[in-house]
Amino acid sequence: MAVNAISADESGKNPGRQVGRLEKDSKMNRVLVGLLGLFCSAAALLAQSDVPILSSALAFQGTTSGGVNSFQPITVPVLVAPLGDHWLFESRGEVQGFIARQDGTSGPYTGQFFYSIDYLQVDYLVNSHVTVTAGRFLTPFNIYNERFPLWIANLEGTPIIFTIGTRTSASSNGGMARGVVVARPKYTVNYTAYFSALTAPGNFQSGRAAGGRAGLFLPEAGLEVGASYQRFLQSTDYNAAGAYFTWQPPPIPLDVRAEYAHSPGGQGYWLEGAMRLAKSRDTNTWLSRLQTVARVQQYFKGSPGPEDLLPGTDVNQFDFGLNYYLPHNVRLNGSYGRQFSSAGNVNIWNFEITYRFLFPAWPGGHQ
Amino acid sequence: MRTLIITLLGIVVLACSLKVLALPQAPVGKQKMPKAATNKNVGGNEGEQKFRENCGRCHNPPDSLSPREVKAVLQHMRVRAMLSAEDEQLILKYLAP
Repeated sequence: MAVNAISADESGKNPGRQVGRLEKDSKMNRVLVGLLGLFCSAAALLAQSDVPILSSALAFQGTTSGGVNSFQPITVPVLVAPLGDHWLFESRGEVQGFIARQDGTSGPYTGQFFYSIDYLQVDYLVNSHVTVTAGRFLTPFNIYNERFPLWIANLEGTPIIFTIGTRTSASSNGGMARGVVVARPKYTVNYTAYFSALTAPGNFQSGRAAGGRAGLFLPEAGLEVGASYQRFLQSTDYNAAGAYFTWQPPPIPLDVRAEYAHSPGGQGYWLEGAMRLAKSRDTNTWLSRLQTVARVQQYFKGSPGPEDLLPGTDVNQFDFGLNYYLPHNVRLNGSYGRQFSSAGNVNIWNFEITYRFLFPAWPGGHQ
Repeated sequence: MRTLIITLLGIVVLACSLKVLALPQAPVGKQKMPKAATNKNVGGNEGEQKFRENCGRCHNPPDSLSPREVKAVLQHMRVRAMLSAEDEQLILKYLAP
């Protein structure tokens, strides 16, 4: 996610209160991480022959936005280590380069590299209904942040409303409970509830917040709807709310996804449709590997602060894209978008190649 | 903070290594399982249906997944995709019969 660029400055109206919280949360984070490590060590010793896996996505993105070219090599390593039947350690990092001309459209190309930890968490799978997570995890507001990493997202660009409900870094440091309330053949109800502590800017930055999400999934129709809520408890307290919708009708390879989000900084929605050129989801031909994508977005400005990372004007945007899924988990993506706003209309061209792989972390051969 | 976390991660990896090295290793060799999408064994059909309903919403069946990797992948996805324990077991039977 493009959260590396998120401002580190969370200056608020009450700096004394914030410094106090920061110190308190910093201590809490140290205790939390310490306990996490001790627990992992102990659990690992008791673990059975569960083989951890290492996986990664390698991507190269090229973007031309308003005539400004940029290139981004990205790698997203993931480590997953089961510790018996109930415990799981998961971590995902991100190393991202940003190469662009020094003065935007002129001058030599220069590059910078950023890295961040998206999640570093321990999960205790209590039962079907509850999984308890401690550590650093992706903030579960709506679905884009959790479900659409770059190797799954149909379009390269993140939605305009992405930062609503995911401040300050799209990750949270604290605790989370999630699971399935009820699972029936015809419907499933899922939930997530979490709290996060304020952590200073850096690779483990997070905001003080609490929130939750609930969803209803109808498997036979391939339909899911849900809603999210977050109370941001840092600097100026405020609410963010959202709703999402996904639909994959089983007979045809169509994916429809949408999100709406609202905060004092602004509100908006995106609606995306993606269709593979095939009669059914089972078809596997050279043509069925081609996917057409279209997305429309509207954003309505509220009272955004600089830390909200939201546009300062109303924005409308549409994107069209083509994805081609090559064998061996390689995907090509190209898209064109047009953004309309009072700050100026711009064309946005994107190109991306993504490769995803996975292998066992321990010796024994990749079987 | 960063040093602390790296140290703790090192301890975890070391502890896991010691434990795993002490256990009998799975035989090495060509054990690539058949493509999940073609698996029609008993219990696999229901697992395939669960795979389509849940996992297939975001991605295709993997080209190949060794039995050694399946458990970690499924536990990971159980948390990510909020699968029920029952669905996890059915998909496990489908992917690694």
